[in-house]
Amino acid sequence: MIELYHVWKQYQKPHWALSDVTLSVRKGEFCFVTGPSGSGKTTLLKTIFREVLPTEGQIIIGGKNILRIPDSKIYTVRRPMGIVFQDFRLLFHKRVFDNVSIALRVLGTPPRDMKRKTFIALRMVNLHPKIWDYPSQLSYGEQQRVAIARAIVNNPRILLADEPTGNLDPDLAHEIFSLFREINKQGTTVIICTHDKELIRRFGGRVLHLQEGKLHGKDIG
Amino acid sequence: MSNNLRFRARELSKDLTVMFYLQKTVPAGERDLILDQIRRSPLVGTVHTISPEEASAKFAEDFPDLKAILLNLNANPFPASIEVSLKDPGLPTASVLQFIAEVKKNSAVEDVQFNREWADKIRSLGRLAEAVGLFLGGILVLASFFIISNVIKLNVLARKNEIEILRLVGATNTFIRIPFLFEGVLMGVAGSAISLLVVLILIKLFPLYLGSSLGALQEIVGFRYLTLAQALGLVLGGGSVGLLGGLTSLARFLRI
Ligand SMILES: Nc1ncnc2c1ncn2[C@@H]1O[C@H](COP(=O)(O)OP(=O)(O)OP(=O)(O)O)[C@@H](O)[C@H]1O
Ligand SMILES: [Mg+2]
Repeated sequence: MIELYHVWKQYQKPHWALSDVTLSVRKGEFCFVTGPSGSGKTTLLKTIFREVLPTEGQIIIGGKNILRIPDSKIYTVRRPMGIVFQDFRLLFHKRVFDNVSIALRVLGTPPRDMKRKTFIALRMVNLHPKIWDYPSQLSYGEQQRVAIARAIVNNPRILLADEPTGNLDPDLAHEIFSLFREINKQGTTVIICTHDKELIRRFGGRVLHLQEGKLHGKDIG
Repeated sequence: MSNNLRFRARELSKDLTVMFYLQKTVPAGERDLILDQIRRSPLVGTVHTISPEEASAKFAEDFPDLKAILLNLNANPFPASIEVSLKDPGLPTASVLQFIAEVKKNSAVEDVQFNREWADKIRSLGRLAEAVGLFLGGILVLASFFIISNVIKLNVLARKNEIEILRLVGATNTFIRIPFLFEGVLMGVAGSAISLLVVLILIKLFPLYLGSSLGALQEIVGFRYLTLAQALGLVLGGGSVGLLGGLTSLARFLRI
């Protein structure tokens, strides 16, 4: 499903954010990416999302080399994916509803479906009472859950989550991980970046460990 | 404006008539000779002779106030004249001018008057107005083009965040561009519609403002509003200018 071949990424010389990452994630897999801060976790997700172009290497997703797809067709790469950004990337002048439904709006979803699906996604992250609030009125953890709702609202085939529980209390973090597990069981490939070893141990799954841009894979559970 | 004048010029030259004023003391024989010469010309339509008496009567009729002055004069001041209306209603051509010059060679013909000069003047005035109109129109089109593309540039910059997120959630470029282009077209159409309205109001008020001081000029400068096709063209043109402004602005500031 997702294949990376000798992917290198350098933002600035001489430091390599990713160095020679070769990796294959099967369809329907549930895996974690761990590693210290600055080890390249976010960079890895962004290359898969085609937000960051690798300096070297190839990335094949669903049989397509996404680096060959022209900029004007990026949406074909991104539509089957949902991504939770580490920095949320919410629109602060728009309500929670609009922040989540934007992912449906760009697909031309009819308004009725849009409302229903948005509400369901928000209920999954337990934020439906705040559907008409603005993100600035929400706590960090709540904003994070808006970002999660936006990532899952259109039933993506691939879900990428960058430290999605970084601002959540342990109970809520557990709940969110359970949600990801649930989504994964329906066939979605899930890749989560996290520091939370406790949760990894509890949920199990494949763990990809990054260290200074190098990948050290190990499997748990 | 240029519209108006062009129309007037055509109107005036339509009834292009030439007046030949004869000397006071012209024997009837010589007058008939001249008449003959005129009638022979293929350019001439109808010929009408006006005796001094007729001229005087017409004057009295046209200007009843001045009738007294006329009566006080012992002699009739009006010369006999020949009114010739030309066949071709178009503007005077070289052959017409030649014809007039030839008739004028007769020593009995004292003066010639025809409204060619008027037609010419108005026509050149019309051309001037047209040129000025084109120039101003060009400036206006350019100005609105730059204003619209700038407004859209500002909008693009103001909505940078949103554009980025739209791209991240899989919007096509067209989906992102359309609202901006729509905005441009809307601005163009609204702008031209408003200017159309202003022109309409001005045209309605201008004669009122000038009032009777225009006098006979009113006839000539009489205002005709733009035709429906022209108004539609203006609005469509405004829309296209807006669209173009939007497109260029997006090409420069929305690199997606
Ligand atoms: N846009 C950028 N420009 C320059 N350098 C960058 C950029 N983004 C990341 N880097 C560098 O690349 C390296 C990897 O960054 P990355 O964000 O992938 O780390 P991370 O593993 O996600 O860290 P964290 O756990 O803190 O989120 C870092 O050294 C960082 O300084
Ligand atoms: Mg990161």
